[in-house]
Amino acid sequence: MILRTPPQKKLRSDPGDSPAPTGSASSGNHLIIYEDSPLPASASLQTSHDNSDQHLCTYQCRQMVKADVLDALSKAEKQVHEYQTKLQTLNENFSEADVERKRLRDKFLYSEQELAAAKGREKMLQEQLLMEINTSQERYTKELQSFHELEVKLQSEMNLRKKAESSAATAEEKAKLLEDKLSQLSGSVDREKKRLNNDIAQLGKEAKLSVSRIGADLERMQCRAKNAETESDLLRSQLEDLKMKFDECLQEKTELDKKLSSFTSQAASSSDNSVLVKHLQEELKHYEVEVQEARKLKSRHLDAGLLNEKLFEEKSRRERAESELSKLHELQLSMEKLENELSSWKSLLNDVPGVSCPDDIVTKFSALQNEVLGSTVKIGEASTHCKQLEVALDATQLGKQNAETEAALAKEKFEALKTDVKRIEVMLSLVTGEKEQLKAVVNELRKSNSEGAVSGAADGSLIQGYESSLAKKESYIKDLEKDLSQLKDVNNRQRYEIELLNEKLVNEARKIKSLERESDRLRSEISLLESKLGHGDFSAANTRVLRMVNTLGVENEAKQTIEALQAELQKTKERLQAVEELKSQSGDAGKLVDSHITGKIAQLKEQIATLEKREERYKTVFADRISVFRRACCELFGYKIVMDEHQRPNGIPVTRFTLQSIYAQNDDEKLEFEYESGNTSILDNGYASQGEIAKQIEIFIRKFNSIPAFTANLTMESFNRRTLY
Amino acid sequence: MASKTAAAKDIITLHGSAAIVSEFFCYAANSILYNRAVYPEESFVKVKKYGLPMLLIEDESVKSFLSNLTSQLSEWLEAGKLQRVVLVIMSKATGEVLERWNFRIETDNEVVEKGVSMEKSDKEIMREIQAIMRQVASSITYLPCLDETCVFDVLAYTDTDVAVPFTWIESDPKLIANPQMVKLHAFDTKIHKVDTLVSYKNDEWDEEE
Repeated sequence: MILRTPPQKKLRSDPGDSPAPTGSASSGNHLIIYEDSPLPASASLQTSHDNSDQHLCTYQCRQMVKADVLDALSKAEKQVHEYQTKLQTLNENFSEADVERKRLRDKFLYSEQELAAAKGREKMLQEQLLMEINTSQERYTKELQSFHELEVKLQSEMNLRKKAESSAATAEEKAKLLEDKLSQLSGSVDREKKRLNNDIAQLGKEAKLSVSRIGADLERMQCRAKNAETESDLLRSQLEDLKMKFDECLQEKTELDKKLSSFTSQAASSSDNSVLVKHLQEELKHYEVEVQEARKLKSRHLDAGLLNEKLFEEKSRRERAESELSKLHELQLSMEKLENELSSWKSLLNDVPGVSCPDDIVTKFSALQNEVLGSTVKIGEASTHCKQLEVALDATQLGKQNAETEAALAKEKFEALKTDVKRIEVMLSLVTGEKEQLKAVVNELRKSNSEGAVSGAADGSLIQGYESSLAKKESYIKDLEKDLSQLKDVNNRQRYEIELLNEKLVNEARKIKSLERESDRLRSEISLLESKLGHGDFSAANTRVLRMVNTLGVENEAKQTIEALQAELQKTKERLQAVEELKSQSGDAGKLVDSHITGKIAQLKEQIATLEKREERYKTVFADRISVFRRACCELFGYKIVMDEHQRPNGIPVTRFTLQSIYAQNDDEKLEFEYESGNTSILDNGYASQGEIAKQIEIFIRKFNSIPAFTANLTMESFNRRTLY
Repeated sequence: MASKTAAAKDIITLHGSAAIVSEFFCYAANSILYNRAVYPEESFVKVKKYGLPMLLIEDESVKSFLSNLTSQLSEWLEAGKLQRVVLVIMSKATGEVLERWNFRIETDNEVVEKGVSMEKSDKEIMREIQAIMRQVASSITYLPCLDETCVFDVLAYTDTDVAVPFTWIESDPKLIANPQMVKLHAFDTKIHKVDTLVSYKNDEWDEEE
């Protein structure tokens, strides 16, 4: 409550101004003292005036003065009364102000407490912020370090991966090349296999045909042998009959001779005897015919024996042919294998670079295998590194998530701090407003106290105290404002750092995505490799594929073939036994015939041996003569001549002559000629296709149709080259 | 085999694990031969194994073949040299490979080298094998029909340093060109882990579609 002090009333100086003093004296119930004693100070001045007038005034003057004094007294009383009322009001105001002061003091204390609490909270928050900032800085530094390390690792892994990729690419290229070569090899192998299979089939057919032919011949021979045996049996039986008849005839002959001798001694010549003689002669002729037939039968029997021998020879030949066929099959298989290996090695020698001999191939393959192994090892290492990177990725993702959560928490805290700061600012503004109000109140109080001096001293000290406390609070508030500004700066810096962290998080997220893509690609590669593994692909360096030999199909087929062969064996054994029995039977019956036959056979064998010896002698002599002839030809004409027989693809046999000059400087200088039914032609080869030789061939052989001129010219040129140059 | 029971797990040795795997292969081969009708139905007899009704072939030649095979596989498994076993089904007329049942084996080399034993419940292993056998039986739903007479053969992928027995020879892997592949379940004895995969030739009808 603002007290307005009434303006001080002017003291009355003119008695004329006052109204009827008696009225005033009588109006009041106050005691009026009429004394000549000096009046109070306020009236003393008046009385001084009055004293000067006393001598002049009379009773009226005294009454007037009294009235004036009374008036003044009343006025003073009024003033006192007013002052008292004013004092009361001031006291009331003071009490009110005191109450308000107390209230304000309580408010102030409350605001102080709140300030202290806010300060404490701010301190706590600052400490927390500092701690969080420190922890975030530490984490940030750690993450930076880890990021740097990861980046370094990533770069190293990228380099390794690039190297591994390049090596894998080169290995893949090499593997592709090798696969292509292998496919080509396999194609060529297949073609050759087919060709060889066709050849084998043809050979087999031919062999089968020959076997069938031989079998047919054998059967024919067997049939012939059987027929011969039957004939021989018949002939034997006939022979026996004939023998018996022959014996009978001989006996009759002897009897007849005896009779004839007796007849001749008796000298009886009768027609009957002539008839008997004729008859006997006829019988003799008949018997001679029969003997001739018997001899024919003997010869046939001999032929049958020869046929049997031929049969045995044919059988033995057939067995030998079959054994040789089987050997041929085995040889063909081995030849095929060798040819396949040779062709593969040759093609490999031609295809594989840096290889000059088969041993190099092995080393080259081992080197390639080592490279492939190394690349697979590198791929494995790269995969392990990728896995480690994935693990690191996961860890960074977790760190990123943690950083994000912490950033969110820090943001929330920041916003909370902001709200707190705003609230504190609001409170501060309120407090400053109240402070200003208090200041204004204090100023008014000061002003009021400077006019009224009754209770101003104590209030002044309190007010000074309040002012000092207010000043302190102001300074404190200024400090708080400074702290606020500092906090704001810190918050700005933290915001900036958070933005930087967010940018880094975004970059890391991008890196994570790229790494995830790489991991997906690696997973797809792994799935491809797993599919290849599932498909059955394998590395020949580490793995070998085996299977059991006696598989069921082969067993069944083998059993069937074995059974068939066993049946054939039994049949052939039975046939052999039958033939042997027949032979033994024929041997018992015709021992005489056999002895003659064996004698003839021995003679024939001797003849054969002599003929063979003669042939060998002729061969040696011919070889000697032909070698002498060849040497002479070489010496005389200057060319070593080698003759050999060839067969053209159309089956026509052709004689080929290879000429090498004695003046030739190397073994490649050979001329090849082909002779067929009187015509000689030169064949193209490396030496004949050389420039000078080709020219000479063109001139002498093509133009002039003279091989001797060509060879003579060539001899002269090579002689000149050897001797003159 | 499990020699002791300790809590819920059984101790498994290298020898036992090899026996489990080779026995599994024998039963799996029989199941495949029955389900793919390589041999007629009347050639098989029903037995109880792995908690399921399993079919075993009665043909003596096939039985002896499989028994010799499994004994050799067991030997190689104990030596840690066996990488894969493949059962190949081929056309008898043309020799073309129609299906490949691929059993890939991963061996714990530490067990082979040091001879330690591992722990795993027999029931757990049996459950895993049961799942594979069920999948083999249900494979007829997606595998193409084998209309022609077929024969089978078994290939073993081993390490290169393995001594080849005289009843075994090296062979080509009998691959299928552009096959379809279906991965089945796996089982693990803690010493040997067996993955199963079947690859088959694309059916002509499916190609046309």
